[in-house]
Amino acid sequence: MKFIHAADLHLDSPFLGLRQLPNSLLTQVRNATFDAATVVFDRALAEHVDFVLLAGDLFDRAEQSVAAQAYLFQQFERLNTAKIPVLVSFGNHDYLADQHQTVAYPENVTVFGAKVETKTLTLASGETVAISGFSYPQRWVPTDQTVAFPTHAATDWHIGMLHGAVSAGPDDHYAPFTVAELLAKRYDYWALGHIHQRQRLQEQPPIIYAGNTQGRSVTEAGDRGAYLVTSEQGELVPQFFSTAAILWETPSLKMTGTTLQDLSRQLSDWLVAHPAERPTLTAFTVKLSQALDDEDRAQVATGDWLSLWQRTQARVMRAANRYVTAIKFEAKPVAISAPQLDQQYWDQGATDVFNPVNLQDLFGKLAQEPALAAWFTREQTASDLETAARQQLADLMGKEDDHAS
Amino acid sequence: MRLNRLTIYGFGKFHDRTFHLTKGFNALLGPNEAGKSTLTQFISAILFGFPTKKHPALRYEPLDGSRFGGEIAFTLSGTDYLVSRVDGPRGGKVTLRNTTLDLTLPAATLAQLLAPVDAQLFAHVYAINEPQLGTVFAASKQELIDRLRHVGAVGSDFWLRQAQLLENSAEDLYKPQGRKPTLNQLLQEHQVLTDKLNKANTSYTTYWELRQRQQHLQAQQTDLQRQLAVHRQIANQYDQQLALWPVYQQWVTLGDATDRPVSGFQQNDAAALERLTNQVTATVATLKDDQDQLATLQEQAQLPPLFQDYLLVTAQVDPLIAQLPEMTIAAREQYRLQTEQADFQRRASSIEQQYAQGGQMPRVFSLATTQRVHELTSNLTLATQKRRRLQQQLNQLNEQYRQQQPTRQQRQNPLADKQIGWLAAGLVVLVGSMFLPATIFKLAGAMLGVAVGYYGVFIVDSSTPASRQQQSLAEDIRDVQAQLREGSHEINQLTSQLDDIGDAHGLGEIPVVQWAAAQEAIVEWDRLTQRIEAADAQLTTATTALTDFKTAVQRALPAVTTDFPALTAQLQELQATRQRLQAQESDVTASAVRLKRDQVAVDQAQHAVTTFLQTRNLRSTDAFYQQYQQIREQGNRASQRTALAQQIGKQPLAALQQVTSHEALAQQTTTAAGQVVTLQHQLDTATAQLATTAGQLAHLTASGTQATLRQRLANLETQMQDVTQAWLVDRLVSQWIAATLAAASGDRLPQIVKMASQFYGKLTENRYTEIELTPATLRVRRMDGDWRSVSQLSRGTAEQLDLAVKLAFAVVMAQQVAMPVVIDDGFVNFDAQRREAAYRLLASISADIQVILFTADTTVADGLTTENLIRLTD
Repeated sequence: MKFIHAADLHLDSPFLGLRQLPNSLLTQVRNATFDAATVVFDRALAEHVDFVLLAGDLFDRAEQSVAAQAYLFQQFERLNTAKIPVLVSFGNHDYLADQHQTVAYPENVTVFGAKVETKTLTLASGETVAISGFSYPQRWVPTDQTVAFPTHAATDWHIGMLHGAVSAGPDDHYAPFTVAELLAKRYDYWALGHIHQRQRLQEQPPIIYAGNTQGRSVTEAGDRGAYLVTSEQGELVPQFFSTAAILWETPSLKMTGTTLQDLSRQLSDWLVAHPAERPTLTAFTVKLSQALDDEDRAQVATGDWLSLWQRTQARVMRAANRYVTAIKFEAKPVAISAPQLDQQYWDQGATDVFNPVNLQDLFGKLAQEPALAAWFTREQTASDLETAARQQLADLMGKEDDHAS
Repeated sequence: MRLNRLTIYGFGKFHDRTFHLTKGFNALLGPNEAGKSTLTQFISAILFGFPTKKHPALRYEPLDGSRFGGEIAFTLSGTDYLVSRVDGPRGGKVTLRNTTLDLTLPAATLAQLLAPVDAQLFAHVYAINEPQLGTVFAASKQELIDRLRHVGAVGSDFWLRQAQLLENSAEDLYKPQGRKPTLNQLLQEHQVLTDKLNKANTSYTTYWELRQRQQHLQAQQTDLQRQLAVHRQIANQYDQQLALWPVYQQWVTLGDATDRPVSGFQQNDAAALERLTNQVTATVATLKDDQDQLATLQEQAQLPPLFQDYLLVTAQVDPLIAQLPEMTIAAREQYRLQTEQADFQRRASSIEQQYAQGGQMPRVFSLATTQRVHELTSNLTLATQKRRRLQQQLNQLNEQYRQQQPTRQQRQNPLADKQIGWLAAGLVVLVGSMFLPATIFKLAGAMLGVAVGYYGVFIVDSSTPASRQQQSLAEDIRDVQAQLREGSHEINQLTSQLDDIGDAHGLGEIPVVQWAAAQEAIVEWDRLTQRIEAADAQLTTATTALTDFKTAVQRALPAVTTDFPALTAQLQELQATRQRLQAQESDVTASAVRLKRDQVAVDQAQHAVTTFLQTRNLRSTDAFYQQYQQIREQGNRASQRTALAQQIGKQPLAALQQVTSHEALAQQTTTAAGQVVTLQHQLDTATAQLATTAGQLAHLTASGTQATLRQRLANLETQMQDVTQAWLVDRLVSQWIAATLAAASGDRLPQIVKMASQFYGKLTENRYTEIELTPATLRVRRMDGDWRSVSQLSRGTAEQLDLAVKLAFAVVMAQQVAMPVVIDDGFVNFDAQRREAAYRLLASISADIQVILFTADTTVADGLTTENLIRLTD
């Protein structure tokens, strides 16, 4: 038996955290999710797999992407032609409700319903496989669904498909489960989806997040792909294969010079020394050895310096097959100390300012902007803000020091 | 800080005045218009800068045109400074000197030295006057806090400035109500893009609609294709049927003829007939052989072919031969009759020719008429003879006369001429008599001719002319001529009578001399006519007999001639031959016998054939074969029909049999074809629509608008987030600074409030004991414990409160800012008691802080112990 386990194709979803891209790259970015998914389907056809499992989030329903639908129809038809069944369990992004989908996918495609179902396949080899799974009926499935999964059927193999997250607390929204629950089903393989970073929760039987096929933001750096699973001596052996059309990378640099000019050279040297095989969106974190001067800092802050650098280093970036999307500066953690104001007052001020209520208050009407609200409510944001504020205050203190001295 | 000396170069009403101030309480006494407010303004102007020229009333430029400005000597943190300010840009030209160290300092240092007090704070807190006291409460707690914050920390001005910068920067990034700031613009752009995306997202619905449509159309197409195939087949069947129609018609036609069941004309029948005819042929052949043999024999015996024929039909021919003599006679008789008849006919014709006038034969004379005619004729003859005789006499006489008179002819050859003339005349008479009808006339004519000739030759020869004779001759001539004329007349009479008779009997044309002959001819013609009829009857009989005979012979012997004499000869020859043969050898006889036998066999065979034919109601073998052929053809037709049926095919044939007519079939074909066309058209339409849909789908799919917009939105959102973050950070840092400053100054607020409570108690002589800061404002507690809000206080009491707070603020903050309190007639609304209390308080705080009191109240000097009292009016 041989099959492919993929998840989180997120077809036609935009890349996040980009400000601007050269047109050539923009086209690649736009096609990246499709190209990555195509690798999966190409592999399925090339390997003559028995079936393909897609564990949710094939596309983002909210985005109403025509291209994604057209693409799925086309690819499913390809597999249909090759008589390769496709089993789809929709996840939190492509949940069943609010479906405009009036035309069914080709007959080789099985879409699991809102309740756990089991589909049994008889393979060309004569082996039988039971595959259990379900689709999200709406955006959230807060309850543990593993209960509804049957125990190992009388088939040769039994595979579970689950789009969800390991139970973390009362606020779970995504079909929470525990590894123990999954193991209790005695399945031969658990094909998980939802978490974009591929990971293996259990070696044998494999309980695997395939991860997404294409990283779409700087937080999804590293190679992305799917698993080709082959039966070997009664066990299912997953083998990762890469699909990402565009990679994300977040290298860290320690700034050797003191000026932005020095940094520019350092970055281009780094690019020359690290050419990429695939187009790679590279977001640098630059550790400053000492603070930049006011002018440099202003250039960095406005983003002018980066866009200028991107323009001037376009050739170098092309040669390295990389595009530098962002340069994040990281200074040493700064101690807030103003000679003329006691530390305690700063600390007291910080508690007044850096609290959710104040933040929310400050954010004010912007909360009505969904895009910003989503960003704002991210856990990371508050601490990012505080870090940035501290950095800025530290910079100001430096100035005060100058002033005082 | 304390002010030591004020030197005015020129300011308002003052010029070149110097006031020396002491460390503690200074009272500057002067009535209204003495320049109290001018001095307050002077202190502010020198320390913090002249107001701009936009506010000339506040600038106090000297009225007398002396130099605008002045200087202040002050002590700060144990160091003495001198600041002078004269008119100049940006608040005036400042000169600062550290007089302790005798250093000239940069002008900017002044603000740092005075910080955090600036013009605003000075005006709000340290420069106390009545209107100020009246308005201060509008600001309430926040105002107080702000002021506290303002002076809350040493160096807080920097932070406050930074906070202000951050706020400005934040406002550049975002203003909730703005349009210009970056984030506002981004948000607008975001809205535009979102709208675009929403618009583009409608393509999603369209996509599914198209998909559905495509599916529907595909189903339709498939259905139509199927239908089309069916209808094509139907149409094809019809076409085929139509094409097969002629064949089918042939088939139908063939089918009509095959229904008649016929027996007796089968193959075996034909064979039987064949056998029989063969038998006939064989027997005939045998016969032929025998005939040949006989012929050979006969050839040897020189038997004519006719005899051979005869041999076959002797029975028939023999009786005929027996009749032969009889027939010969009949034939001869016939011939004779024919000859006779022909003769009669000829004669009758000749008579008719001679006498018939207009086809009408003249009638026969009666006896009387005959006699009369005879008589008349005789008379005429006599008359004629007489006339002729006379004529002759005349001629003779004439001749004689001529002879008497010799002529040229005589000279030449008169004799010859005369002889020839006579001979010619005789010849003419002779020949002319030949044309006369009767023999008698002919004879008479001939004799006359001969006589004339004779006369001419012999008599004339002997005549002799004489002159005397000529006279007698002439007389004779005249006499004869008279006689001639008489005779002619008689002749004419007779001729007329005869003509009458001839006319009556149709003999008008015939000369009378011939009448007798004509009468005879007419009688003869009558007789001939009768005899022709008789001969005709006889001939008919004979001819019939002969014809019958000939027919009989010919029936028996087709070879014989029709010519009867030849026939007779042949028959006689036959008879002769037979008789000869009978006498000849027996071989021939035997042959003949055999021939007879053969003949019998032939007859039998032919009879068999005849029987065969009769049983089938046929006349001849040809008829049989015709019928047989017909039946054969029927068979052929049947097989042809089968072949045709095969060609047509079982189903089409069945289908064709359902068809009523060619027209109906054609109609059906047309209908089917029409249906096919319609379906094809529908299919084409569906296909075209599918192509369109596919095109639309491809267009939708390929447009990439959604993806592009989405990516642009994502990028924009990134930008927005960055800007928002920057904005938030700016705001947060600003807030943080504010909060820190507030925290730093926050310790002092309770002190200020506590001290203000004390001061307020003192000012109100303990009618109010406590001041409390509420979140929004201040409230005060009366002696009896009731709380009063500021608005509930009387104006004087409220001003007392304000004074208390301000003084408390100044005293408490003196740790950081030892700014002198400048009171410009602030107590005008106070009664004497309150004023005294106020003076007392001022005096008590002057230990900590320099107090400069401008007042018109002269009681100050009395009621207060001041170190320094300056009278402005001096």
